[in-house]
Amino acid sequence: MDDWLIAIIKVVGIWVWVLLIAVVMTWVERRGAALIQDRPGPNRAGPFGLFQPLADGIKLFTKEEIIPTNAQKLLYIMGPLLFSLPAFSAYAVVPFGDKIILGGKEIILQVSDVNVGFLYILAIGSMGVYGVILGGWGSNNKYSILGGLRSTAQMVSYEVPLGLALLGIVFVYGTFSLRDISLAQQGTFLGFLPNWGIFKQPLGFILFIVAAYAEANRVPFDLPEAESEIVSGYHTEYGSMRLGLYLFGEYVNLVTISGIIVALYFGSWHMPYIDLGAYLGPISWGIVSFCIFFLKVSFFLWMFVWVRWTLPRFRYDQVMGLGWRGLIPLALFNIFITALFIQLTV
Amino acid sequence: MDLYFWVFASMSVLAGLFTIAAKDALPSAMGLLTVFISLASLYLHLHAPLIAIFQVAIYAGAILILVVFVIMLLMAPGERLAAIQANVSYRGSGALLGMCLIGLVLVGTKGVSDIVSMKALPEGFGNPSMFGDLFFRDFLLHFEVVSVLLLVALIGGIYLCKKKL
Repeated sequence: MDDWLIAIIKVVGIWVWVLLIAVVMTWVERRGAALIQDRPGPNRAGPFGLFQPLADGIKLFTKEEIIPTNAQKLLYIMGPLLFSLPAFSAYAVVPFGDKIILGGKEIILQVSDVNVGFLYILAIGSMGVYGVILGGWGSNNKYSILGGLRSTAQMVSYEVPLGLALLGIVFVYGTFSLRDISLAQQGTFLGFLPNWGIFKQPLGFILFIVAAYAEANRVPFDLPEAESEIVSGYHTEYGSMRLGLYLFGEYVNLVTISGIIVALYFGSWHMPYIDLGAYLGPISWGIVSFCIFFLKVSFFLWMFVWVRWTLPRFRYDQVMGLGWRGLIPLALFNIFITALFIQLTV
Repeated sequence: MDLYFWVFASMSVLAGLFTIAAKDALPSAMGLLTVFISLASLYLHLHAPLIAIFQVAIYAGAILILVVFVIMLLMAPGERLAAIQANVSYRGSGALLGMCLIGLVLVGTKGVSDIVSMKALPEGFGNPSMFGDLFFRDFLLHFEVVSVLLLVALIGGIYLCKKKL
């Protein structure tokens, strides 16, 4: 019974936490945009405009739900659900801290430590595109269909370099479990570098982050919803909370991607050079590792905003060219070099 | 009886029926997606998480997305499949292929009667490393032959599509 309770608390707790970050991210995005463009941004609701997401939420919830006359009803309704469901469930295998010992029981800070680890994330991540497709197709609007088509092609293309980049990490650490990979990143190698994924897979990290930006439909890869070309792509016809689910799912995806980046490439909950776990008690270390992990995550969340308001959008053929002619050969090269290195040293 | 099995087994059969009976192309593809996902749930129930993940990642996440992509390129929303479904030659060849498949399944189930007692699963069953051993040690030749076959199919596909090479 205790195990069940712990599992439920972990699931609900991390779910609420990720949703909370996603809500705050909508505020960070707008304030960040304002900061970069040298204007005040939303600053009326509450201190620093912090209640702005709340106001947006109320607005989305209370708006009338309209289904366009010519839309295909079932597909139109299923679209946002199919988009947000994978987004909400992908975080299950990402750790959010080391472990905490409560009442003699060791609780790992991860919903589920499965040995197929990030294969699960890849599988669930590829499900999200169905929401985009159904939304675009069901709306029966040419801009929506264009957005859906673009997103399909883009997601299929960039999943390959994403998976290949992750394969490099598997070669280095020899496991699929994100917790085992996180644990292996403690300490230093070559005497001075932290044992982090980025120092062992620098090219793999660059490939991963580019492909992840494309998978998340973020600038400079936001062609599925390019405002200046196709209104707002696949969710042109959506309003009220259905639109809210699309927008919200996107921010939840950002949290998950940042979590994966931190867990795989940036030492997870480890501080460089200092093993804090040796100095702190079991409970305080649990809390501190959680804080360290999410400090790193918040940096990458900020980077998403930073990039969005810094780079212009790619042209469509450039996106496809970069994916197939740039990233995939580089990813194969990365795998080749990694395998060669492991073969020669181990 | 095993409730979990019955829920997902009936779900996959119903979704399969919907796949072939649907009047629109995209809902039909969604029916196929449901089949894949309920089969993946059954694999999970059989303690084979890796096969379940492969089922979702490869069939639902890659192959079906390509099918959907083709549907979106070639058809307009609301366009019906009636013309294709009424085609007698399609129906005939579909029936023939279906018969072949049922025959194959029957041949496959012949061994079921040999199963008399349940055995405990070996240690580490369904681990990624166990799959690696199977693919790259025990059945290396078969695996490589299949990958060469896929390469040939790929080159053939490019050759057929490109007018000028």
